[in-house]
Amino acid sequence: MLRTLSINSGFLPIIFFLLFLNRNKQKKLWVIFLYAVISVLTDYSYDIISRKNEFYIYSFFTIAEFTLYSIFLYYNLNTKLFKKLLLISYILFFPITIYSFFQKEFENFDSLTASIECILIILFSILFLYEQIKEPESIFIYTSKKFWIIVAFFLYLSSTLFLFMYADKLPTMEKNYYWSINFVFNIVKNIFFTIAFLLRKNAFSDQPLMKNQFNY
Amino acid sequence: MYLLQVNNPAGITSVMFFGTIGMLTLTVGLIVFIIFHQRKVIRYQGTLQRMEQDQQRMLLNASIRLQEEERQRLAADLHDDAGPLLATARLYLNENLVNMDKVSQLQSIYNAKQIIDDTIQLIRNISHSLMPPTLKNFGLESAVNDLFQKISGSGSLNASCRFHDYKERLKTEDELILFRVLQELVNNILKHSNASFIHVTQNINGDRFFLRLHHDGRGLTQSDFEKLNKSPVGLGLKNIQSRLKLLSGNIYFEKDVSQTYYKVTIELSKEEIS
Repeated sequence: MLRTLSINSGFLPIIFFLLFLNRNKQKKLWVIFLYAVISVLTDYSYDIISRKNEFYIYSFFTIAEFTLYSIFLYYNLNTKLFKKLLLISYILFFPITIYSFFQKEFENFDSLTASIECILIILFSILFLYEQIKEPESIFIYTSKKFWIIVAFFLYLSSTLFLFMYADKLPTMEKNYYWSINFVFNIVKNIFFTIAFLLRKNAFSDQPLMKNQFNY
Repeated sequence: MYLLQVNNPAGITSVMFFGTIGMLTLTVGLIVFIIFHQRKVIRYQGTLQRMEQDQQRMLLNASIRLQEEERQRLAADLHDDAGPLLATARLYLNENLVNMDKVSQLQSIYNAKQIIDDTIQLIRNISHSLMPPTLKNFGLESAVNDLFQKISGSGSLNASCRFHDYKERLKTEDELILFRVLQELVNNILKHSNASFIHVTQNINGDRFFLRLHHDGRGLTQSDFEKLNKSPVGLGLKNIQSRLKLLSGNIYFEKDVSQTYYKVTIELSKEEIS
């Protein structure tokens, strides 16, 4: 039941994105739309493919998730240093993925890659939010689409970090039991994406606040 | 993964449970903190913005008021002094002159000429006070010297100046601004401080242009200056501030370390004035 709800919640952001296309024309939002589509397709593919190939599906999804998140964040970060760090971490992520790929033989989940991806996304989400405090771009941060998108990733991945970390060590029965955490926060993530797509167009390209200066 | 090496299912379960709860709590806490902190930062920026706008408005009002006062003074000088003089000259030269005897006619013409000479001198003085010709023709150093000679000549106090690094003149409009600032400072000293000497020095240090005014009367410190600036009074000081703002300059008021005299330092960037 929860699994069905989680999988079907993936359609919410897709539907609202298309319904409110006028509000979501920015290229940055298309990246998230693509992510939502890949997420739904990946969820449905678990039922179709054999157990042996689950590992490859999980790995592919992890890489796609990190790539799309990095693209989205790269175009939303203003600090050059943070952008460089993001690029470097993205480049370094691949050797780890390849290593994990060849280490694990037909195990059902790539814990190493998924955990590292979670940690990186959490760190960069914190950096983004720190940037928002240091140089606020809008009066109310929660009127900004990118805020909801970043918080969606942040909340989802921080809640599932420990689950993904131990997923390969858990027996199948237990893993299926605890996978509910993933389902619940996947639903929350999709709701947050939907909120982001529902917000009005101006909420994305926020007017910069006037900077105060006292120089003569 | 390596740090949290737990292998038994019970251990894994508790680590997962507490880890997830912990991460969730931290995440939600951080997001809530960020939302509230950002609102605080924005409210603070709004307050700063309002304060700056109030300050700008006060400076503008002071500038406008000073302009109006200057105009009123000019109008008064012309109306009260020049006007009656010219009217008197006209009286002497009225049509009755043709009916007078030659001696009386010559006397009337001579009196009218005297009055016209006085009027010319008066208008010249008004014009000089608007734009000193020494400043325009010979520069800031000569104009300040001229001004100080007039002040010293009056016997009320001893005024002198020394320009150490003024081989090249500044732009005329910048010289006028600096002259007006010095004039205002000197007027304030003459009116309020009871000083016995004023000494102005000029020098250049690196890329900074300095004008320093020293006097031994009652002076202002930087905190007094800032307090007066924030209040509606202190029109002259606000005017000084507005003028220096045009040159991106700074002004500092302080009592000298020896506690025997007050110092006013005007600091400008050479780039801005050259």
